[in-house]
Amino acid sequence: MADQLAIGSRRGLKPALPLLLPAYLWLTVAIFLPLSAMVFFSFMTDLPLAGKDWAFTLGNYAAFFSQGLYATLMLASLRLGLEVTLWCIVIGYPAAYVLAKVLKGRSREAIFLLVILPFWSNGLVRIFSWAMVLREGGILDTALNAVLPFKINIDLMYSYPAVIIGLVHSYVPYMVLTCYLTLQAIDDSLIEAGRSLGASRRQVLWRVIIPLSMPGLIAGAALIFVPVVGSFMEPRILGGRTGTFYGTVIEDQFVAVFNWPLGAALSFILLAVVLIILALAAPVLRRAG
Amino acid sequence: MATTRILEWLGRFYIVLLLGFLYLPIIIMAAMSFNASPFYQLPFEWTTDWYASLWQNDQLIAATWNSIEIAVITTIISTVLGAMASLALYRYEFRGKKVLQALLFPPIAIPWLITGTAMLIFFFGIGIGRGLVAILLGHVALALPYVIVVVSARLQTFAPELEEAARSLGANQWQVTMRITLPWIMPGVIAGGLFAFAVSFDQFVVSYFLSTPGQTTLPVEIYAAIRKGFTPEINAVSTIIIVVSMALMLLTARFFKFGGEK
Amino acid sequence: MAGVQVANVSRSFGAHKALDDVSIDFADGGFYALLGPSGSGKTTLLRQIAGFDFPDSGRIAIGGESVERVPVEKRRIGMVFQNYALFPNMSVADNVAFGLSVRGEAKATIAAEVQRALDLVQLGKLGARKPHQLSGGQRQRVALARAIVTKPRVLLLDEPLGALDKALRVDMQIELKRIQREIGITTIFVTHDQEEALTMSDRIGILRDGRLVQEGPPEEIYDRPQSEFAATFLGDANIFRGNATGNGILLADGTTIAAAVGDRLVPGAKASCAVRPERIQISTGVVKPDTGNANSLKGQVSKRIFAGNNSTYFVDRDGQTLKVIVQNTGAERLAEGEPVVLSWSPDSTVLIAA
Repeated sequence: MADQLAIGSRRGLKPALPLLLPAYLWLTVAIFLPLSAMVFFSFMTDLPLAGKDWAFTLGNYAAFFSQGLYATLMLASLRLGLEVTLWCIVIGYPAAYVLAKVLKGRSREAIFLLVILPFWSNGLVRIFSWAMVLREGGILDTALNAVLPFKINIDLMYSYPAVIIGLVHSYVPYMVLTCYLTLQAIDDSLIEAGRSLGASRRQVLWRVIIPLSMPGLIAGAALIFVPVVGSFMEPRILGGRTGTFYGTVIEDQFVAVFNWPLGAALSFILLAVVLIILALAAPVLRRAG
Repeated sequence: MATTRILEWLGRFYIVLLLGFLYLPIIIMAAMSFNASPFYQLPFEWTTDWYASLWQNDQLIAATWNSIEIAVITTIISTVLGAMASLALYRYEFRGKKVLQALLFPPIAIPWLITGTAMLIFFFGIGIGRGLVAILLGHVALALPYVIVVVSARLQTFAPELEEAARSLGANQWQVTMRITLPWIMPGVIAGGLFAFAVSFDQFVVSYFLSTPGQTTLPVEIYAAIRKGFTPEINAVSTIIIVVSMALMLLTARFFKFGGEK
Repeated sequence: MAGVQVANVSRSFGAHKALDDVSIDFADGGFYALLGPSGSGKTTLLRQIAGFDFPDSGRIAIGGESVERVPVEKRRIGMVFQNYALFPNMSVADNVAFGLSVRGEAKATIAAEVQRALDLVQLGKLGARKPHQLSGGQRQRVALARAIVTKPRVLLLDEPLGALDKALRVDMQIELKRIQREIGITTIFVTHDQEEALTMSDRIGILRDGRLVQEGPPEEIYDRPQSEFAATFLGDANIFRGNATGNGILLADGTTIAAAVGDRLVPGAKASCAVRPERIQISTGVVKPDTGNANSLKGQVSKRIFAGNNSTYFVDRDGQTLKVIVQNTGAERLAEGEPVVLSWSPDSTVLIAA
């Protein structure tokens, strides 16, 4: 043990600094300072630019708590996050199970790649592709009417379900990925052992497989819930007028209303919510490695 | 064991359904980009007009060039800086190393809406303002953690004795890095670079807050077009984008997974 | 070529003292083994000599030149690693050429030197292969060729044969020794295998918990161990503990054991005696006094392990189990449970201060 201590690595920050500094300076300038600046601006009445008068204020935060609108939208966004996460579990977990425990060899590799591939393509474009399918006279409408003997009118575009469908489509590969990784790590002999002890298929599922794959489920849930709560582009495109959420209000403050301090305060509140969620999920994630 | 058989086939069928759900809208979008009707009406009538008219759309072409330029520069900067940082995190032991590693996760985990608006505020505050420079600054910062994570993963498979062997043969730090370490982590660096390119080329949210008219990227331009109203032209350019980004990820998967075996 | 002097070297990792005031003189051209259990500090010592790590205090000199603060790449040493550490992206020839090439030697010189080194390790025809196409023994030879081609002042070997199977290991031991003699390089060799240390080296240094326990030629350490640890770690030994008399020890049950080897000790001081299992005679009858076996004990055979050319008897005596190794001469074998008499000469008994 003691012999191994020195092998491979060398002590000291000094020789490491020239290699580390450029990357971390860049992250500081483009991520950490901006996040700090956002906190700072959220306590201002106006931007200190072009000689405008400004003062410190708690007004931006007061606005969140006094005007019911923002809190309502935050709740709507949290609910959206919850629903999308649940759908992703319902759809993604069985798929991950089949990938990990039913498929073998090359077909498993190929299908796994196929499942996570869309995830790495442009999210905006994928959301847009749903507009083709969901709108009135769109593909879903036309296809269903071609098959069904009676006339129905499918117009899901600009509705809450449309937003859900688009978001689930965007994020379900996350759930498949994280659950697949934990399910694959479960030794098949554990499942066989459970069965040999007389447990039914369902009992093995609920008492062996699901508890053991919990870290993957929670990791996936955190990775989905967090960005969905902050989503704005998907509700805008697929939700239309019904697509007003917390994220879209923040977007408005920056690109339409130009009330940046309020936008900063709203962003910071969202960041706080996100950090709390990540902090709650962190112990489980760390155990999952 | 007949039930097992049936359940397995159900499982396979389910995977096919899921793949359908994942790919159907994309395939339909691609198909519609070759359909003559501007209102996506069936029956399908083949045309490549929409792709042809892309060439007439100067705004879209300018935005595309911006996107490519920014993605290429982002790739170069973030792979070089990221590989350097990964090497340092791999080679040296020092206090605060865990903190530095933990600091890589906020840029990945925090929603881009928050990072993007924070960058907008800060860059305005220090006088950089909006535009391509701001977008580049942001993209590199978003891509860096991915590069470091990917290259570090590759470094985990590197035997530290190789560096020691090279040093014992008289090689200095630079020679060790260039002739031993870098060739070994090259697949990781290439995968990291492809990741960086994809992160930048597909990036919408951060670019959206940091762009100004005239200094914008392709996804931002598409978003504006979508909000103005659909045209098959957008389908055409979207199809191109999705093909490019999926091809990039396939390449990445190849390098990252099979890079070690030779 | 050069000797290596290690003087009062200490190195701690946090609270753990990996090396504690170690001094060894490695003479020019010698073949040394550093032997010890894992965690004894032998690898740490080798890494100090190589220059991968620097001592907290003490001096290290190679060829009379102080190097304790010189980094490894400037020490002109050659090292063979436990897992060979061949560069996987380079051919065998490029691996061997690496040291010369970073030095900026001319291409033609490099090629000639590489060929010479590969010929020396009998791999002259395999230069174009990649490391993963070689067998374990061949990799070992490439690692050796790579380490010596730069004409280093010292050759350091870190458990170089540990990854080979037994038959191959014996071949490589002979081969390594041949090459070392041929080029006459000072060689320091870390191992936890006592047999390897005994058969290969001119001198052995035994380490334990960061300290040098004993150092000397293999025969001397085997015949005159200075501590119970040295006696039991290098070879096998029966240990008796008691109080020193004028020429041996007195056990708690009143038995005296005479020892003719080892330092004289103050009578009454705590002491022990070590006897090698193969030096003890075992018999069922009374020992004839003329054999010179002044030490004798009664016991009972508890177990016999037959190993072809010899048998090992475990003999119980008063709560202690003694080990006796008897060559297979065709004489009658003793059965388990049989009462026996053990006898041996004081010349085979080493007195050790406790």
